[in-house]
Amino acid sequence: MIKPIPPVFLFILGALIIPFLRFRKLKQFFQIFIPIIAFINLLYMPEGTYWIYKFIGYELILGRVDKLSMCFGYVFVIIAFLGMVYALHVKEDGQHTAAFLYIGSTLGVTFAGDLFSLFIFWEVMAASSVFLIWYQKDKAALAAGFRYILIHLFGGTLLLAGIIIYVANTGSIRFDPLEYGNFASQLILLGFIINAAVPPFHAWLSDSYPQATITGSVFLTAFTTKSAVYVLLRGFSGVELLAWLGAIMAVYGVIYAILENDIRKLLAYHIISQVGYMVCGVGLGSEMASNGSTAHAFCHILYKALLFMGAGAVIYVTGQRKITDLQGRNLYKKMPICLSLYMIGAFSISAVPPFNGFISKSMVVAAAGELHRPIIHILLHLASIGTFLSVALKLPYGTWFGKVSKKDKYEIQAKEPPLNMLIAMGMTAFLCIFTGIYPKALYNLLPYPVHYHPYTLYYIVATMQLLLLTAAAFWLLIDKIGVKATISIDTDWFYRKAGKSFTWFCSHPLEQLRTRIKDAFTIEVDLIIGLARNPFTVPKALFWNFCLYSTKILMPLFGSRLVELKKEYEDRLTSLKAEGYDENIYRTPIGWGIILVLISFLLWIIMNLHTVS
Amino acid sequence: MLKILKYLFFTSIGILVLLGFFVVPEHPHFFWEKIPAFDAIFGFLGCIVIVLIAKSLGHYLLEKDEDYYD
Repeated sequence: MIKPIPPVFLFILGALIIPFLRFRKLKQFFQIFIPIIAFINLLYMPEGTYWIYKFIGYELILGRVDKLSMCFGYVFVIIAFLGMVYALHVKEDGQHTAAFLYIGSTLGVTFAGDLFSLFIFWEVMAASSVFLIWYQKDKAALAAGFRYILIHLFGGTLLLAGIIIYVANTGSIRFDPLEYGNFASQLILLGFIINAAVPPFHAWLSDSYPQATITGSVFLTAFTTKSAVYVLLRGFSGVELLAWLGAIMAVYGVIYAILENDIRKLLAYHIISQVGYMVCGVGLGSEMASNGSTAHAFCHILYKALLFMGAGAVIYVTGQRKITDLQGRNLYKKMPICLSLYMIGAFSISAVPPFNGFISKSMVVAAAGELHRPIIHILLHLASIGTFLSVALKLPYGTWFGKVSKKDKYEIQAKEPPLNMLIAMGMTAFLCIFTGIYPKALYNLLPYPVHYHPYTLYYIVATMQLLLLTAAAFWLLIDKIGVKATISIDTDWFYRKAGKSFTWFCSHPLEQLRTRIKDAFTIEVDLIIGLARNPFTVPKALFWNFCLYSTKILMPLFGSRLVELKKEYEDRLTSLKAEGYDENIYRTPIGWGIILVLISFLLWIIMNLHTVS
Repeated sequence: MLKILKYLFFTSIGILVLLGFFVVPEHPHFFWEKIPAFDAIFGFLGCIVIVLIAKSLGHYLLEKDEDYYD
């Protein structure tokens, strides 16, 4: 009998081993071997609560295994494998170590049954993933990474504060469904939704993911937001606020994506949009909506990874990341396989039957219909239109086809990406189609029994109408939709500009104030230093100064008669300044100290005489 | 090639819209689900509306030069 171990340990082990392997082939073997072992390990994990460790009087639970955590566990391990295949050609060990720690801590969050271990893994997740951004090693990535980690540390601190208040109030650290309403639960929710990139706390995602390394961004798309969806499903199912936030977020991401020029940033905005469906499903709270959220998270991880792999491959071979630089270069002739695989991801995210988005997205939308939520239903439909428009029409048209004016017409070097990238994309594409054609495989994993059939004639006809007419509108508007070489400001404007103005405030007004204060004090300090050179001259100096100023004031009255007097005082003052302290001049028969002692002694005697008599 | 695609595209739209008159949902939740070919209308107008909203927001408020933050 094989005894399973917590999956987080497997990946931490991998992170530790990778840097010590000398042979490249062996290293590559371990990179894909560990996710495979982790998958087998998952298969042997029975449902229940185990791996309980005592810690300062509380119980840490590393194995809370039920259908919900297993479903997320499976897809996290699958994407770990696919992402590692995609990253096989990368020679920097640090990237793989960071990725393994990131995957491991996400699995730690997924199977954590208590809030303490959840928090620890939550922070490790943020701290390890930031290296996938920093390994890009340019200035923009460094800055974006710092903003990323600061936001996540802020979210983590809110979460910790919430957890401490919660534990102090209830005395339990079990991570059970939380009752939304009190302060502790609001803080915890805020910590969770920062990781889920819910507006207005979403800007870290669209800011940092496009700056990450090509292989690192594939991991980034999968874990942080989806683990946040998982903890929301676990803790805050049915919170009305989330239904609205989710629906708004789905449209918000779409609108920004239409304006976007950077291909990975466009896709990052569509992560926000797609996570909106999941958050909305959490908020709706019915069994069907929760199933829909889980299924959509599963499918989203697959197709979004595929989309990022495709966009990453284009950036890898051309070095260009903007549509304005890529359009009109006829890349479709040079990388047709990459384009076809990308399109499978694009059809999946747009919920074209029979790709996997169709079987999961429609579930959330149908749940909104079943609960009679017309506005949410319409918003989610609108987001579907925008998704198809940006991801399946605008981005591939601009990247692989497109037109460009004659004077800008130059060829760029391009070919198909390395084999390992294509294999990873192929396998991901296969899974996208497989779960689409055979949804039962996924539906059996979902937390509640599924009574939903996506493949009815009505759904297929309605979806195809929606998508084809969107394509028709795109065709009409094709010149208007064309992207411009601009960036769009988002809510990160507040802290990026605020940061800039804070440094300006420090370096200009505050610095001037400091100089002024310093100057003012320098005069005083000089004076005191001068006087301290010989304190005995202080009375004389004061007196001569007084005389000098009086003569100056009286000058207009008496005129030239005082000139000599003034000169004399000035001479006296300069000679006084020149006069250093010479102890022999001030020597007295008895030292000053002894005189003071004698006087006080005398006073004491007199006072005592008085009281005695 | 492109011409064939065009014909294919328009005929499939035609067929789908026609089908929309005959295929109705089993349990309609909202009144608009009973309108024939509603999704086709919604897709076409929705696309135009969303592009207009995005582009005007971008033009008047959001779009800045690429070195805006530098």
